[in-house]
Amino acid sequence: MKGNDSAIVARGLTKRFGNFTAVDGIDFEVRRGEIFGFLGPNGAGKTTTIRMMLGLLKPTAGTVEVLGVSVSKHPEKIRPRIGYMSQRFSLYNDLTVLQNLRFYGRAYGVENDLLKERIQDAIQMAGLEGHERTRTKDLSGGWRQRLALSAAILHRPELIFLDEPTAGVDPISRRAFWNLLYKLVAEGVTVFVTTHYMDEAEHCHRLALIQRGRLIALGSPEEIKRDMMRGQVLEIAPSNTAKAVKVLRAAREAGRLPIEEVAMYGALVHVVAPQVKQYQEAIAAELRQANVEPGPMAVIEPSLEDVFIACMR
Amino acid sequence: MSFRHLRAVIRKEINHILRDRTTFVLVMLVPTAMLFIMAYALTVDIKHVPIAVLDYDRSPTSRAFIQQVTEGEDLDLYAQVDSLDDIDNLLTRGEIKAALIIAPDFEHDLLSLRGIPLQIIVDGTEPKSGGFAVDHIGGRAEEFISEALASRIRALNVNVSLDSLQPIDLRVRALYNPSLKPRVDIIPGLISMVLGFPALSVALTLAHEREHGTLEQVLVTPVGRAEFLLGKMIPYIIVGLANVIIMPAIARVTFHIPFNGSFPLFFLLSAVFLFAILSMGMLVGVFMPTQPAALALSFLVIFFPGFFMTGIFFPIASMPAEMRMEAMSLPGTHYATITRGVFLPGVGLDVLWPNVLALLGMGIAFTAVAALSFRKKLG
Repeated sequence: MKGNDSAIVARGLTKRFGNFTAVDGIDFEVRRGEIFGFLGPNGAGKTTTIRMMLGLLKPTAGTVEVLGVSVSKHPEKIRPRIGYMSQRFSLYNDLTVLQNLRFYGRAYGVENDLLKERIQDAIQMAGLEGHERTRTKDLSGGWRQRLALSAAILHRPELIFLDEPTAGVDPISRRAFWNLLYKLVAEGVTVFVTTHYMDEAEHCHRLALIQRGRLIALGSPEEIKRDMMRGQVLEIAPSNTAKAVKVLRAAREAGRLPIEEVAMYGALVHVVAPQVKQYQEAIAAELRQANVEPGPMAVIEPSLEDVFIACMR
Repeated sequence: MSFRHLRAVIRKEINHILRDRTTFVLVMLVPTAMLFIMAYALTVDIKHVPIAVLDYDRSPTSRAFIQQVTEGEDLDLYAQVDSLDDIDNLLTRGEIKAALIIAPDFEHDLLSLRGIPLQIIVDGTEPKSGGFAVDHIGGRAEEFISEALASRIRALNVNVSLDSLQPIDLRVRALYNPSLKPRVDIIPGLISMVLGFPALSVALTLAHEREHGTLEQVLVTPVGRAEFLLGKMIPYIIVGLANVIIMPAIARVTFHIPFNGSFPLFFLLSAVFLFAILSMGMLVGVFMPTQPAALALSFLVIFFPGFFMTGIFFPIASMPAEMRMEAMSLPGTHYATITRGVFLPGVGLDVLWPNVLALLGMGIAFTAVAALSFRKKLG
């Protein structure tokens, strides 16, 4: 299975903390040069998995190979070749942009002229020209994320791990961040990223869905949407969204409607069922009975969020 | 061990110290300030102890006696009272530390060359002030009475030697000297105590990195655990060594403590001590998840034992066996021996080598344990 084009190979990877199983025998492979998304709700085991791949945590069972090297046997061999951006802002708040970049560069053995050059690139990439002497705690969230990413790739790693890199960052900064990731991938870097933003997940080449420590889906976004969705999605725009959801769920519980899932989607409601079109009239009737105007209805292409919610049930 | 990695961490740590003025002031000035405060507080001369006098005699002689006793800055006449009840009252309320009672026949007894009964009541809850008052009144009484007796003998023109009337040996009190003596050996001990202060900073910076997630980031770089810990320690050893220059200078200039040994030797041995005590701070920082926890544990395992168990105030020889063992496993105990030895008798390595070996051993052991526990604690 493992070949030269695999950046990561995880086999039966398991981590238990006492009685609690955080990661439960997961298998996956990440190919070189792809953006691999790791999706799951909070507490699903995403960070634990990353930390095992980095050699910060020892797996209870199973193995993981990163860039062809066994992590548990030779963590020091992979360190110079990988980059990591942790969930929390991992630069030193009290030091300046320049001091931070210098430290991380030197920690990876990047020195002198090469270091200067790389720092130039990093500052340009993060859009921080003129802020070299600003303390990082005075930077805004988006800038910090970009700076942390530039710091993580100063040594030009072949593979970078990003743990919820854009949590708490505004949409424009998130877009800018993803543009940077695409640039890196174009240069041949492999990206392993955890997220729970569905729009970001759509941007990944391949995804793994993880829930309560178990891998429940693996594939490209299209494959996952095709394989994981039990039915079609009917989008409704009712007059009272909250009430509509309640009414339809009650109808499902009572067995009057054979539908799989009802979820609020902003001001809209998504109803999932096999051949959902044939229940359109029944749904409208349920809603009217509860004094809710059903509004326009249409069967739509499921989004990843629909899949995600369907899978997490 | 890579020198490049070590240097990267050292540079970063120096940046932190220079960036953060508070830390800088703390690590630079606190040891010196602590030395001053403790040196003064622990060796202060007792003065102005308030006493009361109950004079049953009320004669010119007794008044002159009271005058002489309360002269100067040592004892203050707080009140002249009329009854024992008054004394009781004042002592209970803590307004006086001692009371002097003069018997009704004070003048008469003195003039007839008889023994003179004096009663002193002291506040036993404050033995230091009380004892001081007793000694002082006693001393003054001896002086006054021997003078009065001498002049009386002259006036009566009898052939009696003063010595036969006064069998008390005054020389016992002549030896009593409340000034300077204790400072000479306490101050070198204090230096060894306050020099442990940078250990706190090291424990805190490590806990800080853990709290802020930067530790995790550093641990995925090629920088090794031992390199990281040593790199963190070295800047604080440098700061500590600055204090090693300042403090003997203060001891010499301000407190007139002689420095009889070799200063280069003292400097070198101080660096060894800093390595040992800072690796103790490192160990605290590795095991404590937050800064407040690191602070609390530093006080518990570094500062309090440093105060009470290193033989600075309480002799180690008089401790129970288990405590003696514990005392010998504290870096401060060995360094206190070194400072006192180098300051006062001016001894060298020929005497101090066991202490130096102990410090080196502790430093290496603590750093090794810290480095080994590091990864486990992170998970």
